[in-house]
Parts: sequence; structure tokens; C-alpha cells
Amino acid sequence: MNFELTEEQQLIGQSARDFAKEYLEPIAVELDHTGDFPKKAVNALAKHDFLGLLIPGDLGGAEAGFVSYVEVIENLSRYCAAVASIVNNHTIAAYAIQNWGTAEQKKKYLPGMAKGEILGGFAIFEHGPTPGVGADALVAIKQDVGYVLNGKKAFVRNAGEAGVYVVFATTDPALGAKALTAFLVEADAIGVKVGEKLETMGLKGCPVADITFENVVIPETAVLGAVNEGTAISAKALAVASVAEAAQTVGIGQAAVEHAAAYAKQRVQFGKPVATLQAIQTLLAEVATDCHLARLGLQNAALLIEEGKPFEVEAAMIKSFLVRLGSKMLLDTCQVEGGFGYSEFMPLPRMFRDIAGTNLLDAPGDFPEKLIAASIA
Amino acid sequence: MPKCLVCYKWTLDEQDIKVKPEDLSLDSSRAKGKISDFDRNAIEEAALLVEKNGGAVDALSYGTASVKQSLKDALSRGPEKAYWIADASAETADASVTAMVLAAAIRKIGQYDLILCGEGSSDLFNQQTAPRLAALLDMPCLSFVNKLSLDGDTVTATRKLEDCEEVVTVKTPVVIGVLSEINKPRIPSLKQVLGAAKKPNEEIRIADLGLKPEDIQPKAVRKSVKGFVMHRKNVIFKESSAADRVAKLKASLASEGLC
Repeated sequence: MNFELTEEQQLIGQSARDFAKEYLEPIAVELDHTGDFPKKAVNALAKHDFLGLLIPGDLGGAEAGFVSYVEVIENLSRYCAAVASIVNNHTIAAYAIQNWGTAEQKKKYLPGMAKGEILGGFAIFEHGPTPGVGADALVAIKQDVGYVLNGKKAFVRNAGEAGVYVVFATTDPALGAKALTAFLVEADAIGVKVGEKLETMGLKGCPVADITFENVVIPETAVLGAVNEGTAISAKALAVASVAEAAQTVGIGQAAVEHAAAYAKQRVQFGKPVATLQAIQTLLAEVATDCHLARLGLQNAALLIEEGKPFEVEAAMIKSFLVRLGSKMLLDTCQVEGGFGYSEFMPLPRMFRDIAGTNLLDAPGDFPEKLIAASIA
Repeated sequence: MPKCLVCYKWTLDEQDIKVKPEDLSLDSSRAKGKISDFDRNAIEEAALLVEKNGGAVDALSYGTASVKQSLKDALSRGPEKAYWIADASAETADASVTAMVLAAAIRKIGQYDLILCGEGSSDLFNQQTAPRLAALLDMPCLSFVNKLSLDGDTVTATRKLEDCEEVVTVKTPVVIGVLSEINKPRIPSLKQVLGAAKKPNEEIRIADLGLKPEDIQPKAVRKSVKGFVMHRKNVIFKESSAADRVAKLKASLASEGLC
């Protein structure tokens, strides 16, 4: 058993950290204020191969593996989680194409996605209780020309910036989610309308919007995987995404605890740095411990993904752990910094919003606890 | 086309080193390794020279067993091949030993037009490797270089001195010590990191360098290394009026030549 990252994984993590310091740290505050899409940073990410990290080498990617991927996401998130969120949503779309796409689909999209010429989006959520059900459900009706899509997808990340979306639609409204099918829909297809950008609590700069589909005609070759296989595809892709989002949470938490620790060392109260007070030490120690344990858990899940082994239960566990403790990390670190920690000129409020956004906006196909319980009882 | 060699040092990352408050000794048990900061500039400068002029870059490092961990990092930054000398003598080596070992290794590897070093290492910053190496190899040495260009076999370098900049030209071969402002080291892309494993590296054994035992005996022997703590003066001005307190503070700063 080996808990050490390989030399390559460590160097990739270091590259991600150096990249984040140079390209993301200077824009993080501005992004949080304006919510503008960070085009330059995304181009730089592509130049350093971060947008094609998982994509096979023969299709232009770096093929660096999922353990390296979570290492990258953690390090990017330390400086700007919004950009990490852009990468995560792009990557999960590429992952779906890589795993369920035909050879033609892979050849058509993945080289451009690796180069950053095509950004990916993953459109699964709807306003109804579950995809394929509800008044606005996206429906794909088979016709001679291929499929005609009508309906709406909700909370789509990278909306308006992506060049291709992995879109889930039911092919039979009567069957709802049971007939869910994945499609590749290009952003410039006639009838694809990206709604107004949603004002979100955090992760500003990663655009979120609804996308409406009005008589969007796509060829049969745009089906990703098999017809009616969409639920299985989305469940697996979202489980993979939850591990990447756990890395995002740990990155934010780690940055917060390091900031709070540095603050506690220089903030003098009662004649000595507050870092020497037991109450402060307890807060810092608990957050550092939560980060450490979460990192071990997500690295374990990442390794299972990389090795093609079952990982869904471990992914659910880490998701469940961080839903409980993610936001608490920021509450506790803000507590260490007191009134300063609550102030917008300090970075913790932004991180607070970002960690909440990471944990609130993403959900696996099922409640993680249900999956965990089913694995043991 | 120039054939370049960069000598680099694998040091501990000073950010990871803690000073033990009880005796000011250094705790480096959790410190990671890194390529010494200025040496990263040297690697970058060699890579840029070769990108512009053609040619090739190799890298060479002398260190303890941990030096092997540096190879992929170094190779991801541009060099085509890395040579490494791992020997326990590096633990206590002073500048004379380091230069002696590097010079012997260079004689063994072959001829280079430009040999680049960082001006000083991140840990000891003795600033002696480049000049000593040049003396041992009987080459000219340009130190404190913050700008470098190459035209055929003529090197033009700007040297940043204490109160002026000096532009000099020299014919290759030459040993050059670079400052940090000469460039901004690249952030290796993922493909460069993963490609580093495919590049060749070669171990050079110190026993094969023809050195005498006294050559690797340090002349300067380190007795101890301790952290330096700057103590606060804890002076509080308690005069009744703010104006008096400011005046006292000003006088105090002036007495120390600070204003």
C-alpha cells in the first residue's frame, strides 16, 4: 500500500499550483466581483494541457490519469475555485465523450476540447423532480431527420461559453427518466438558446444558466452511448464529477486553513499571538484534520477511477463527508479571523461562497447516503 | 549551434523548514526538495537560447541520494538529457568540493559552449560555483548576468553590478552565473512533465571521476545551522498627548537611522 503520489503526480500538482499563483490568484477577487468569464485564464489552462488532462494522447490529451486530475483541481481551487469549476464541467463532458462516444464522436470533439478550442458543458439538471419528468422536461422525439429536442435544461455550467454540451433528454415522455438518453448538442445548433446568466452565491466566473431547446434538430449520430442509456451514463459521470468536486472543496478548505493559520500567528491578543490560544488551535486543528482525511478519501476514490475499479460507494462517502464538513471548514476558519474573517477585503468570504457553491450545486444521481447504506445493509 | 550545460542544485524548499523555538535548530524532516531558485532561471535561459539559436541543453547535478528525485523536474523544463552524481559527500560539500566534482564530471561528459549556473543556491547562497568552475575548466566567467544573447560564438551579457550595469562580450566556451531577473522560469505543461520520463538520464559515479580523496574534503566545515529570530523591541510610548508620543516615536526611529 502506498499513499505517496508518484513523481509525475507531484510535479503535475506543482505545475497546477504554480499556474494558479501566476494566472488565477491575480484575478480571483475581480472574478468574484464581476462574474465575467475568465477567457484568458481558460486559454492559458489549455496551453498547459489542463483542459485535456484525461483525454488520450492520440487524441491530443495529456492522458495523465484521475489521481493527477484531482491533484490539479485541488491546487487550482486553492487560488480560484470558479476556474476549477469551469475545468471540472468541461472535463466531465469530455469524460462522457471519451467513455461512451463512438470513434467518430471522439475524433470530432476531443482534440478540440484538449486544445481548449471547444469548451464542454454537461446539461443534466431540470427544474422538474428528476430529468425527463415535469412540464419543462427536455424531450427528444425520433423523426426521419434524426431527433428533435424541445424543453429546457437547468443550472448548466459553462452555459454560453461551451461549444458542445452533453445533453440528457427523454426519448419517451411517458417513460420519463427510464428513457433518458445522452446527446451531443453543439452550441450553435439552431434552436439552442442560452438563458440569462444566473446570479449565483459563489463560483462567480463559472457561468450558470438554463438552456432552452426549441425544435433543435440533431442527427442520429449525435446520440452518446445507447438510446435510453442516459440514466446509467449520468449516474456514473456524476459520481466521477463528485470526486472532482471533492477536490475542489478540499482545495478551498486547505487555502482557508492556511490563511487562518497565518493570520492567527500574526494577530496578537492578550499579549501573544492568537495561534497560541487553545480555542483557536482547536478550530485550526479540526479543519486541517478534515482536509487531510477528505484528501485521503478523494485520492482513494480517484485511484479506483483511474484503475477502472468500482468507485461509486467511495465517491458517495467522500461526497457525504464534505457536504457535512465543507462549509464548516469555512465557518471555523472565519471564526479564527473574527471580524476580519467576516470582512470582504479578506479572502475567506469569497471562499465561503465558493465552498457552498461547490457543495450545493452539485449532486450525484442519488443521495450519497442511500448508496453507502445499500453497500453495507 | 550552441551546446549548453546547466548545473543545478537540488535543495530543500525553505518554506517547509521550521525553526524549533527551544534551540533554534532547523527541522527539515517534512521539507520537500526543489530545484534551487536561481538554477531554474539558468535552466530557463539555456532552454530559451536553444529555442532561439538551435543546439542542445543538458543538465548536471551533484547531490545526495535525493538528487535523483530532481531529474523529471529538470527534464520537464527543457534539457534533453540529465547527468546526475549522487554521493554522500554532497551532504557536507562546500563550494570548492562542488566545483571540483562538477568540473570533473564536465570533463568526462564532453565539451560545452555555454555552462550556466544560478548566481547562488537557495540554501547556502555562496555564489562560488560559477567562478570556481570557470577557473577549474580554464574558461572565462561572467557572473551577475541579467541579460544574455548569442551570435555565433560570441556571447553578449549584461552584468548587474552594485551601482551600474556592464555589457560584455566573450567568445565561447564560457561559464555564466545568472540572476533571477534574467527570465521567468516556465511552468511545465502536463505533456512536458509526462514527457520528462522518456528523456535519458545518466548516473555518473564519483569514483569514476578520477578525483583524489582530498578533492572531496570540504575546506569550510559547517559546525551548526540555526534559525535567526528577530526579537521585537516591545517599546511602548506612554506620553499623555498623541503629539508627544509621535515625537518620541520619530526620535526613536531617527536614532536608529530609520527616518
